[in-house]
Amino acid sequence: MAKRVLVVDDAIFMRNTLKDVFAAAGFEVVGEAQHGLEAVERYKQLQPDLVTMDIVMPYKSGIEATRDIIKMDPRANIIMCSALGQENLVMEAIEAGAADFVVKPFKHEDVLAVVKKVLGEG
Amino acid sequence: MTVDMSRYLGLFVSESTEHLDALARTLVALEKLSAEEVPAAVDALFRHAHSLKGMAASMGLEATAQLAHRAEDLLETLRGARSRPPRETVDLLLATADTLSAHVRAAAAGEVPGRADSLVRALESARAGFTPGPVAGGRPLPAAVPQVPPGPVAPAEAAAPAVLPPRFAVKVQVVASCRVPGVRAFVLYRKMAGLGNVFALTPPLDELKAGRLPRNEVSLELETSAPEAQVAEVLGGIPELSVLSLSRVALVSPSTSAPVQAPPGPQGPRLVGAPESARTVRVRTELLDDLLDLAGELLITTAQVRELGRQLPEEQRAPVEEGVDRLHALVKGLHDRVMGARMTPIQVITDRLPRVARDVARRKGLEVELELSGTETELDRVILDELADPLLHLLRNCIDHGLESPAERAAAGKPAAGRVRVEVRRERDRVLVEVSDDGRGMDAGRLRTAAVERGLLTAAQASALPDAEAWMLCCLPGLSTAAEVSDISGRGVGMDAVKRAVEGVGGTLDIRSEAGKGTRFSLRLPLTVAVVNLLLAEVGTEVVGLPLSQVVGAVDAAEAPLSEQRGRRFMPRGDALVPVHALGRLLGLPESAGTHRALLLAEAGAGGVVLEVDRLLGQQEVVLKALSRPLDAVSGLSGVTILGSGRPVFILDVPRLLAP
Repeated sequence: MAKRVLVVDDAIFMRNTLKDVFAAAGFEVVGEAQHGLEAVERYKQLQPDLVTMDIVMPYKSGIEATRDIIKMDPRANIIMCSALGQENLVMEAIEAGAADFVVKPFKHEDVLAVVKKVLGEG
Repeated sequence: MTVDMSRYLGLFVSESTEHLDALARTLVALEKLSAEEVPAAVDALFRHAHSLKGMAASMGLEATAQLAHRAEDLLETLRGARSRPPRETVDLLLATADTLSAHVRAAAAGEVPGRADSLVRALESARAGFTPGPVAGGRPLPAAVPQVPPGPVAPAEAAAPAVLPPRFAVKVQVVASCRVPGVRAFVLYRKMAGLGNVFALTPPLDELKAGRLPRNEVSLELETSAPEAQVAEVLGGIPELSVLSLSRVALVSPSTSAPVQAPPGPQGPRLVGAPESARTVRVRTELLDDLLDLAGELLITTAQVRELGRQLPEEQRAPVEEGVDRLHALVKGLHDRVMGARMTPIQVITDRLPRVARDVARRKGLEVELELSGTETELDRVILDELADPLLHLLRNCIDHGLESPAERAAAGKPAAGRVRVEVRRERDRVLVEVSDDGRGMDAGRLRTAAVERGLLTAAQASALPDAEAWMLCCLPGLSTAAEVSDISGRGVGMDAVKRAVEGVGGTLDIRSEAGKGTRFSLRLPLTVAVVNLLLAEVGTEVVGLPLSQVVGAVDAAEAPLSEQRGRRFMPRGDALVPVHALGRLLGLPESAGTHRALLLAEAGAGGVVLEVDRLLGQQEVVLKALSRPLDAVSGLSGVTILGSGRPVFILDVPRLLAP
């Protein structure tokens, strides 16, 4: 069965890019969220296998959303989407329970390599 | 040839201050130590006095050297007695430490400290009281007791060598294509720490987090009960890593190494100064402030260059933007490092609390047990500076007003010694400092009455006030329920100043109290003041910033179910109704005819507040600049920042904006 993914980013461009990456690789993007609050809600409803999480978003940051999701589900697989210069934020997110990270701008195969490692398939 | 000693003044001041702090700390701890620990503590005291004497003498500060010398003599005699010095002697030595501190301060200001003859005589006669008899005022120690140096001794290891789990040596290399090797190595560290205890991490954690990874290699030892196959599997699950080696290590002497990041806090106060790393340098905090300022300016300038780049023709834009991205990453890195360098354990301001607790309790004839925890938690130096006096005041307040006399406590079935706790812990991106006592609690009714008597509230307002808000009344200037103003907590800072200081650094103060059970003051503080995450909102023609930490949520005004009661608007939230304010009106801006309105739910007081704005512009990480005169007097503004466009934006302080 295709793995189910939730894509969280406040930029439509990023969400669409990630959706393309996942669709091409046979994943099912089951939901999207534009900010941290929505991410936590969507996670609760959808229980996806994987979340890609932007860090800087309005209302609730990706780090706080990660903390909330991990509190609900300690086994959640969350991959942070960071930019260069956000090293400290990424480390904070890892401390909060994120499984791994990718650095924007990214190549499709980089994202998939990290996803597969995290899901134990690589 | 004469040597100009003034060149050494700075060093003298900082070193002797450290000795004096340690001296006072050890003296206060002395009364709580077990009999076996006393001799080592007295030894430490003697050494501090001795070092001070030497330094003062070489600085030519005769009176200081003489006073330190007499203290050293007395301590030498006490050393011979090998028993716990009586309370009066500790008082005398503490007074000496205070006077010596005053001397050092005077020297720092370029003055020559005056003689302290009466103290010198008191030290001499105290010493005479202990000689020539071998023991005075104390129980002699059995001669055979070995001198155990105080300090953190690993109890488990000292007891019985338990069967230790196996240890694995791990060596990996982060692949060259990885753009953030430090973060990658940090992921490795976290995953390994998730399996057990990590030892011998190379490079050490701080270096690793800063991205300093020679040859991109990381090695560590992992003590875990997980099988080797599982360790290998976890390693294999980390991207951008090649495992160079994984092997089991034979245990030689486990007691010699401590786990990386083992909680550093020893249970009692440290008696002997911890050995300082040989690879540190001292810098003035002002230098760090300047560096941070410059790094902040660089961030702002980078954002401005980015804005300019956007105006270039399409074909020239890409290389400029790429350069700006790189520049931003570098500047952000620099900024983060400087911020990191300013982080200081809260210990620097809590260290003096035991001394203060003892003094206040002694003067009031009370007994108090002060418990400190989490003092290794780090905060921005600037916040610590602002927090030092308020914390002191809260502690005094707890003891002076909070704790009952031993007789009252006995009648209430409480132990004679009152308990005051100062607990510090990290809570998400904030630090929570709680000061609590197990005393009589605050009387919300009396606070209400006092507020009405002083005309701060009407009787109706006061009776409608929930307890949680009534306790906050003690923070109004001039409101104190203590029947008499004692010189102990009444000095200098009042609760209003405590609240102002906490809010001034972007924190919040919360008070909870229960009659007969005690009071708890909770300070929620940001880790740093310099960089804040802002939510930018448009109000009329103005753009204002709200710290994200104060914003709970946002909704589109069109979707928000507002209700109106007696001309005031409310938004339902859970069971409560939250008042709605037009931000423009609060700021005194002309009414705008904005069509697209948004509502922000912000933290303020007990239930929060909803602010109506025209439009949300987004979120931005900005460098906070303090307001200078006369703007700093405007209530409700916490600072200003400059956006990439060059536009200055005021940063609101929501709780104070609404304060009457």
